[in-house]
Amino acid sequence: MTTSIVVFLLVLTAGAGFFALNVQRLVRYLRIGLPENRTNDPGKRVENVLSIGIAQSKIFRDPIAGPMHAAIFWGFVVLTAGTIEILIQGVFNAFSYDALLPDPIYRFYAFSQDAFAVLVLGAIGFAMYRRLVLHPKRLEGDKLEHTDALIILSLIGGLMVTLLLTNAYAYLAGSTLVGPEKFASRITAQMLGRSVSNPALWSGVFWWGHVIILLVFLNYLPYSKHLHVVSSLINVYFSNTSGPGQKGVMRPMDLEAEVEQFGASDVDHLTWKNLLDGYSCTECGRCTAACPANITGKTLSPRKIVVNTRQRLMEKAPLETGDRMEFVHPRLVHGEGGDAGAATATQVVADRLLDTYITEEELWACTSCRACVQECPVSIDQLDIINQMRRYLVLTESRFPEEVQPAFESLERNGSPWAFSPGDRARWADGMDIPTMAELLERGERPDILFWVGCMGSFDDRAKKITVAFARILKACGINFAILGQEEHCHGDPARRMGNEYLYQMLAKDTIGTLDRYEVKTIVTSCPHCFHQIGNEFPDLGGNYEVIHHSTFIERLLEKNLVPLQSENGKRLTVAYHDSCYLGRYNDIYDAPRATLKRALPVVDIVEPKRSRDRGLCCGAGGGRMWMEERQGKRINVERTEELLATGADTIAVACPFCMTMISDGVKAAAADVPVLDIAEVVAGQLAS
Amino acid sequence: MPNILVFAETRGGALRKVAFETVSAARALVDANGGGQVHALCAVPSGGAGLAEQLGKHGADVVLTAENPGFANYAREAVAATVAARAKSGGYRAVLVSFSAQGRDLAPRLAAKLDAPVAADVTEIRIAGDSVVVKHPVYANKVIATLQLDGPLVVLSTRPGAFPVTETPRTATVESLAPASDPSAEKVVVKEMQEGGKGKIDLGEAPVIVAGGRGLKAPENFKLVEDLAAAFGNAAVGATRAVTDEGWRPHSDQIGQTGRQVSPQLYVAVGISGAIQHLAGMRSSKTIVAINKDKEAPIFKVADYGIVGDVLEVVPALTQAVREAKASG
Amino acid sequence: MKIAVCLKRTPDSESRFRIAGSGSAIDETGLKFDIDDFASYAVEVALQINEKQAPGETVAFAVGPDAVQETLRKAMSMGVDRAVQLKTDAPTYDGLAIAKALAAELKAGGFDLVFFGKHAFDTSGGIVGTATAELLGVACVTSASKLEIASGKGTARRELEGVAEIVEFSLPAVVTIDEGIARPRYPSLKGIMAAKKKPLETKPAQLGQPRVTVKGMSLPPDRPPGRIVGEGVAAVPELVRLLRSEAKVL
Repeated sequence: MTTSIVVFLLVLTAGAGFFALNVQRLVRYLRIGLPENRTNDPGKRVENVLSIGIAQSKIFRDPIAGPMHAAIFWGFVVLTAGTIEILIQGVFNAFSYDALLPDPIYRFYAFSQDAFAVLVLGAIGFAMYRRLVLHPKRLEGDKLEHTDALIILSLIGGLMVTLLLTNAYAYLAGSTLVGPEKFASRITAQMLGRSVSNPALWSGVFWWGHVIILLVFLNYLPYSKHLHVVSSLINVYFSNTSGPGQKGVMRPMDLEAEVEQFGASDVDHLTWKNLLDGYSCTECGRCTAACPANITGKTLSPRKIVVNTRQRLMEKAPLETGDRMEFVHPRLVHGEGGDAGAATATQVVADRLLDTYITEEELWACTSCRACVQECPVSIDQLDIINQMRRYLVLTESRFPEEVQPAFESLERNGSPWAFSPGDRARWADGMDIPTMAELLERGERPDILFWVGCMGSFDDRAKKITVAFARILKACGINFAILGQEEHCHGDPARRMGNEYLYQMLAKDTIGTLDRYEVKTIVTSCPHCFHQIGNEFPDLGGNYEVIHHSTFIERLLEKNLVPLQSENGKRLTVAYHDSCYLGRYNDIYDAPRATLKRALPVVDIVEPKRSRDRGLCCGAGGGRMWMEERQGKRINVERTEELLATGADTIAVACPFCMTMISDGVKAAAADVPVLDIAEVVAGQLAS
Repeated sequence: MPNILVFAETRGGALRKVAFETVSAARALVDANGGGQVHALCAVPSGGAGLAEQLGKHGADVVLTAENPGFANYAREAVAATVAARAKSGGYRAVLVSFSAQGRDLAPRLAAKLDAPVAADVTEIRIAGDSVVVKHPVYANKVIATLQLDGPLVVLSTRPGAFPVTETPRTATVESLAPASDPSAEKVVVKEMQEGGKGKIDLGEAPVIVAGGRGLKAPENFKLVEDLAAAFGNAAVGATRAVTDEGWRPHSDQIGQTGRQVSPQLYVAVGISGAIQHLAGMRSSKTIVAINKDKEAPIFKVADYGIVGDVLEVVPALTQAVREAKASG
Repeated sequence: MKIAVCLKRTPDSESRFRIAGSGSAIDETGLKFDIDDFASYAVEVALQINEKQAPGETVAFAVGPDAVQETLRKAMSMGVDRAVQLKTDAPTYDGLAIAKALAAELKAGGFDLVFFGKHAFDTSGGIVGTATAELLGVACVTSASKLEIASGKGTARRELEGVAEIVEFSLPAVVTIDEGIARPRYPSLKGIMAAKKKPLETKPAQLGQPRVTVKGMSLPPDRPPGRIVGEGVAAVPELVRLLRSEAKVL
C-alpha cells in the first residue's frame, strides 16, 4: 500500500534525519577542541580496531561481563544485515535477501539472525539481572545513569522481541520467509498458539514496532552513554598506536608558542581526540575499579574525568558554536559529578572544566600507573586529560601541592628532586674503581655502555645498595661500562609527570647535550622511570639512545651464561614479584624480571599477588606522587603491600627504587619481617665470590 | 693601647649572658694589645649602677648607664643614638655588640651613624696595626672568611657562644649618660612582648632538638622523647613524617624535606631510620646523635655519635644521665 | 603601594664549597645561583601586600655584576614590575658601602616600603638593610617574621631569643624579612615569559672605596666521621661523656 510506504519513508527520513543532525552537531562540537594529526600508522590503527573493537579483546578482561557484552555487540553487527533487510521492506514489502543470496548462504544468514537475537536477548536479560540484582560496584552510578542503562537495555530487548514477534506472526500468517532456520521465530510462533486472529496484522504491527524502536534507539544515542555505539570504533582507530614504550609517551609541547595559556583548563584546550573520548565513554567503570587512588578512597575517578569532559563539552560547545536549538541539545549526559553544571549562559562562560567539574585534588591524586588506560575497552586515554590539566595548573597558574615546590626548586638548583649536594652524586662508587665518561674520554677510551644511575640510586641510602649490586654484577661479567658521575643530573621526568613541562625540557635538553657530547649510544639503568624517560620520551626532543632496563640486561647476561653464579643455593625461596608500572604497563616488561629470578635462583617459587602483570596495583609513587603527601583514604603502598604479603611469600622482589621505598615502608607499617629486594640484589647475592 | 666600647645587652633591666661574652671578648682584646679601657654601656629603665659589679667582674673598667623608663623595652633608635654619640666622643678603637637579635639590629645602625666599617657575627678578633682582622663564618658555616676592616673606629658584633665568658674582676667606675634621644619618641614602638607559645620552644630556635620516629613503635612512647627534651632543658621535640602521618604528633612537629628544616647545636634522632626526606631536614645540625636498633640504618651514616639498641630502653637511661650531667653543672 | 625589594644573587645553600685559587673567594664552578632565600621571602611579602592593596608597584634592586640580571628577571617572573641593577664587578663584604649605594638610589624613589632579606647566605652579616634605613632616615624593623600593613602603618613580629616582640611603626619604613613569613611563589611559565619583557635598568653602583676586604677564605675542619659509641644502655655513659667533652653540647 502506497500510504504505508509514504509514511514509512517519512518516518525513516525524520528519524534518520534527526539523528544525522545530531551527529553533525556532535562533530561540530568536537571542533572546538585543538587540532591534532592522528592519521599516521593506518595499518596499526586498523589492527587495533579489529582486535580491540571487533574482537573485543579488552572487553574480555572481565570474564563475566566480557562474554555478555561481546554477545550484544556481535549480535548488533550481525543483526545489522537483518535491519537493512527490514528497512528495505519498508519500501519493497516482500523483499528478502533470499532473492539475492544462494540458498545455503541465505539459510545460514537467516539462522544467524535468529541465533543472535536469542543470544542478545539472553545477554540483555543477564545484563538487567546483573545491574538490578547483583549490583557490581563499578556500576554504582546515580539514578539517572541507571535509568539510562535500563532504557537502552529495554530498547535492545524490545528490538529483539519485536523482531521475533514479527517473524513469528508472519509465520503464523503463512509467510514462506520464515524457514526452519529461523528456529527462534518458529518457537515463538508455537508459544503464541495457532488461534491468533489476523496474524498478518500483528506481524505488521510488530514490524512497525521494530522500526519505531530502532529509530527511537538511534536518536536516543546522542543523549546517552550509548553514544559509544556510534563513536567507539572510531575512537579506537584514532587512539595511540600502542607499541610498547610508545603508549606511555606524554604529549610533546611547544613552549615557544605565543599562547595565552599552557595546558588545558577547559574543553577548548583539549584536543578533539580527548573530546571524542568523552563521547565514547560507556561509564562501565573498569578504569575506576582499577585506579589505585580510587581503590584507596581518594576522590579521583578516571571515569569521572571522562564523563565530566563530555558534560562540560555539552555545556560549552553549544554556546561556542552558536547552536541555538536549546531543546535538542544533547545535555542529558550525567554520571559522576552530575550536579555540577551551569544554569545560565553567563555561568557557562564563567565556569570551566577545571575547578567547576574536576578538582585539583583529583588531578594530583593520580599516580600515572596507566591502569585506567589499560582497562578501557574503547581505548580512552584518561591519563592524557589529567596530564594536560596538570600542565595548565603548573605552567599557567602555578598551582600545585605546596610540598611539590621544594622538589621543583631543588631540580632547578641541584639537578635532583631532593636537596642533596650534586657533589655527592657518585659517592656510592667510592672504592669500586668505576670510571666516569670524562675520565675515559681523557684516556681516549669509550665504554660499551653507559650506566645511568638516577637520583634515587645516587642519593637514597636504600637505593644505593641496588646501584652497588648492579655495578657488582656488571663488573663480575666483565662489562665495559662507565657512569656520568657528577655530570649526571635528573632528566626531568618527575617535573614532567607533575606538569612542569618547562623545567622538564630544560633538564632534558641539557641531559641530551651531555649524552651527545659523549656520543652515548647504549644506556642501561636500574630505574624504570629513567628507562622510560630516556628511552621513550627523549626522542621527541632529539635524544635517541638505546636504553635497557637492568632486569632485561641481567636476563640477557644470564641467558648467555655470562654471570658467574654460585652452584650451591639450597634454600627454597618463595618470591612475590611486584610489577613496576613503568616497566609493565608502559613497556610490557613483565617476563624479564621473573625470568631473571628463576635463572638466578633455581630453587624459587614465584607467587603472584592477586593483581599482577598488566593488572598489577601501583605502589603509589608514580606521577610525581613520591614528592606529595597522601592526605585521603588508605595509603596506596599499604594496600599493595598487604596484597603482596597475603601471598605468603618469604621475599618480595621489585625492579624499581621507588617501588622499593614504597613497599619497604608498607612492610614496616605492617610490622612484617619480609625482606624486600631488588632483582639486582637477588642476583648479586648469588654471585660466585 | 686601644679602648673598646661595649654595648652590654640587657632585658628587663638584667644583663644577658651575651653581655658578659662581649665584655670578656673586649677585655681579652685590649689585654692582648698592651692594655686599654673597656667601657660597657647599658640602657636600662633604672638601677644601672647595680649592674656595675657584674660588668666589672668580666673586665669592664667603666660602666656607662643610660637610664630612662623608655628603655624598659628595646628602644632601638635611642640606644643607637646614645651609643653612637658616646663612640664619637670617646676615642675608641672599636664598638662591640653581640650578634644577638638585638645586636643584629644595633650594629648596622651604629656603622651608619659612625660611618665606620662593620663586620657581624665574628668568631675571632685581632688588631693588626691600622686594621682590625676578624674571622666570620659564611655560607651557612660552610666557609670561614677572614675580613680586614680599615678605619680608626670599627663596629663588630660577636657570635654568641664563640667568645668565652672570663673573669678578670676590677671595680668599675659608673658614669651616668643622658640618652641621646628620647626613648619614648621612637619611630618603631614596642607594643607587646609575647612569650614563645605556651613555653614551647620553636624548632627553628631550639639549640637542642630531640626527634622521634617510627622506631618508638607506639604514640605513647613519645613521652620518652619529651622526657629527654625536658632533661636537656632547652630542647624542642620533633618528629618524622612517618609518625606525623600516623597522627602521633602534629604536622607542625615534622622535620624533613616537606616539613621543617632545622640546624640546632644538637640533634638527637630516636628510632629514626634516616630516610632521604628526613635527612634533608636536619643534616646541617652541628652534632647529631642517633639511637636505633638497626645498625644498618642510614641515620648512622650522618650521625656523629650513635647507639645501637632498643630505644625504649636506651632513651630513659640517656634521660637520666643527661639530668645528672645538667645537675652537676 | 610603592615597594622596593633589595635582593642578592647567592649560590644554592645545599652546595658543597671549594676555595678558589686566589684563596680569598669561593670557587664558583658548577654552582647554581638564585635569589637569596631571605630576599625571596621579601619579594613574596612585597607581592602579597601589593596584591591585597592594589594598585601598587614593586621594584627590585640588586647590586652586582651583569649575572645579577638573571636574578632580577626571576623576581620579575614572580610578579615584580621592574628592576634596577646597580652595577659593580667587585663583590664586597663592606655592607655599609653597599648601603650607601642603595640609599643614594632609593632616596628619590618615593617608596612606602623597602624590604631586604634578614641576611644573605653568602656574607651572612645582616648589615645592608638596617644600615640603608639609617642612611635614609626612616623607621627600620629588622627580622620581621610577621608583617601587616594598613593605612600607612605597619605591625610586625620579631623573634627574639625565647620571646617575641610586637612593634608598630609608620611608613615609610625599611623592613628586613625573616623566614616563616611567606612561602615564595613558584613562577608560572606565563610569569617567566612576561618577565623577559619587563624593564630592567642598569646604572653604575656608587660604592666608593670598600673598607672591609676579604683577606682569605678557608674551609672549616672536616666533620669527622661519626661512630657507633656502643650498644644498648651500657653505651649511655660514654655518649654523655663525649657530648660533654668532645661535642661540648652538654
